Amino acid sequence: MFQRNPSYSNPTPCNHLADYKLRYGLNGYKSFQNHLKTTPNGRTSIQNPDSKLPRCGSCDGYEGRLYICLICASISCSNHTLLHNQSENGHDLAVDVERAELYCYACSDQVYDPDFDRTVMSKHIVAAVLEKSQSAERSSKRRRFGSIDLLDLKKLKPLMSVKDQRSKSCYPLGLRGLNNLGNTCFMNSVLQVFLHTPPLSNYFLNDQHNRETCSKRPIGQLCLPCDIDRIFSAVFSGDHMPYSPAQFLYSWWQHSANLAFYEQQDAHEFFISVLDRIHEREWKSRSQDKENGDCKCIAHKAFSGQLRSDVTCMTCGFTSTTYDPCVDISLDLDTHDFLSRNIASKSTKPVDSSSKSTLSGCLDLFTRPEKLGSDQKLFCQNCQEMRSSVKQMSIRRLPLVLCLHIKRFEHSFVRRTSRKIDRYLQFPFSLDMIPYLSSSIIRNRYGNRIFASEGDEIDASSKFEIFAVVSHSGTLESGHYVTYLRLRSQWYKCDDAWITEVDEEMVRNSQCYMMFYLQKIPNYKLNEDLSCLPISPRNDTFQQIAGCC
Amino acid sequence: MSMPHEDSASSHTQLSFNLFGDLLDSVIADVASECHRIARLGLDRNLEEEEEELRLSAQARERVADSCNSSEANGKYVVDIFGQTHPSVANEIFDCMNCGRSIMAGRFAPHLEKCMGRGRKARPKVTRSSTAAQSRGGVLKWYIRRPMNKKEGGPNDCHSMHPWSPRSTSICSKISSLIAGTIMRCLEAYET
Repeated sequence: MFQRNPSYSNPTPCNHLADYKLRYGLNGYKSFQNHLKTTPNGRTSIQNPDSKLPRCGSCDGYEGRLYICLICASISCSNHTLLHNQSENGHDLAVDVERAELYCYACSDQVYDPDFDRTVMSKHIVAAVLEKSQSAERSSKRRRFGSIDLLDLKKLKPLMSVKDQRSKSCYPLGLRGLNNLGNTCFMNSVLQVFLHTPPLSNYFLNDQHNRETCSKRPIGQLCLPCDIDRIFSAVFSGDHMPYSPAQFLYSWWQHSANLAFYEQQDAHEFFISVLDRIHEREWKSRSQDKENGDCKCIAHKAFSGQLRSDVTCMTCGFTSTTYDPCVDISLDLDTHDFLSRNIASKSTKPVDSSSKSTLSGCLDLFTRPEKLGSDQKLFCQNCQEMRSSVKQMSIRRLPLVLCLHIKRFEHSFVRRTSRKIDRYLQFPFSLDMIPYLSSSIIRNRYGNRIFASEGDEIDASSKFEIFAVVSHSGTLESGHYVTYLRLRSQWYKCDDAWITEVDEEMVRNSQCYMMFYLQKIPNYKLNEDLSCLPISPRNDTFQQIAGCC
Repeated sequence: MSMPHEDSASSHTQLSFNLFGDLLDSVIADVASECHRIARLGLDRNLEEEEEELRLSAQARERVADSCNSSEANGKYVVDIFGQTHPSVANEIFDCMNCGRSIMAGRFAPHLEKCMGRGRKARPKVTRSSTAAQSRGGVLKWYIRRPMNKKEGGPNDCHSMHPWSPRSTSICSKISSLIAGTIMRCLEAYET
């Protein structure tokens, strides 16, 4: 059961606020609406119409916080609020002049009211925000959460309800080493992830891409999904000897001429390349769904999300918004190496290396408002001039499978060298993406007002659970990739041909390069036999999609 | 002669001191108001879970640092979950699908490269040393070289000059960054 706006709660009003609203309704708020002043960076304050400096009625002071009584509009400074409250009976509510926040004299506390916030927000909407999206806007009836249709899942046969009798141990099916064919650990690591990404494994193991019918198509049309299907069959066959994905490598090189060479390569690049090939294949075979414009290929169903980019003019506050699809999010490390190095060379203070990098720090960095330099002025449609602007990214729609890629390289323009950043990055196993959603970012921009901002209709859970980590060790030129997979609450290390059991701590300690999180869809049961579902560490009601184990 | 000069200097000092004090008070009240709102509306609900994750990670770091970890070493002597061991260079033999010859798995990629006539010709210019047999294929690439994926347009400079540390999950860091942001906004407001 979902609330409409799940990310925050409406606080219960204090008695004084409740009384005030009963007696006066919204009249007081409306009278303030005309005196609200908004700034381009989202702040609201109260301004006197004749621009006189507001002064306290009792002491004539103008310093500190000033409050305007909602009933009689007399101004009090913070020292004399109680005085006003005592002298006039029932005058409990006021508005902070500086921040347009409700203040209760009697409780001596800031209080919150959705109606007041709505009044404030309406001023913002009138003043500055004109939504202009450059891609076609969708109708609100369309489901906005993760692009997989839940009805599809119902049609899928339940997986793994019968234990494979051939396996000598109790290990889950689908664990099989992949031979290194010569510098192909980048490929093996990502393949292991694909093999255990629930939407992909459901798709291929349920025979949604049939090699027999596919091969009937004209020869010469390459089909990478067929080769992926072959790998799935091999790895889930129950055979323990490591498998050589040679046919896949051959196919992939035929598809991607620019990446076809015997050399160490980047796992992320390979990941993107494979998703592109799967998408291309689906696109050719069926006409794109014109209604939604959303691609229905399995690659996009699983990984595709949507990012929102807001560019705000610093002068007038006009915001232009664009939406872009994405299959992953590349994050910069929240490190200060460059800056601290500069400082260290000037002063004798030792470089502070105690600050830790965290994934939430990287995500904060990704979604922070960024001032575009004066050499990067953009044209503002409102001002009809080139203006300096602020850009902010946020996530409009979360994918079903979230791939986070850490950009572990930095390039020094001075020395014209590049190096890998080995800095440890803390990453959680359970991730809540709410603070990075467009609805939260926009709300935060306007002071976290209680207001149903665009994007709040998202019904899907924003909670994610990790299931795979691709980690890198070594340098930019030469290194090694390893994948950690979590199946049935047990972590396995997939190092080319070697699959070993490892404990959680080793995974937490690894140098993560790509992390894969699966969206938790609450309590959706495909099959009564849920023995193959991983148990959430916090034992809450959320369950993952019945995945392969 | 110097006395009045000193007086005006000290009154300037006093004035700027007062001004700074007012600014600081205003900023602190701003931050308090923001944090109050965030806390009251429950927007920082996940604080406990985040703290727990941080604690688990820190614990993991300590434990692994203590024990001397030999499993990261060369996989030659490692036994996998099925009780098998494997040579460091895969020795499965199969036929090349391009030319039909029997090739050993661990040497398949270099063979295929020559066999298909790819590699050196098709590759764009990148200055990176080609590998020896020791390393097994792991490289980090440029963010720039992505062929098809439309990027989110984030800045490519890894050394952005934003001096304030982004919010981490502890309350203190949140507040300090809020203070920082508020100070910047104040300064901007006073600029205009």
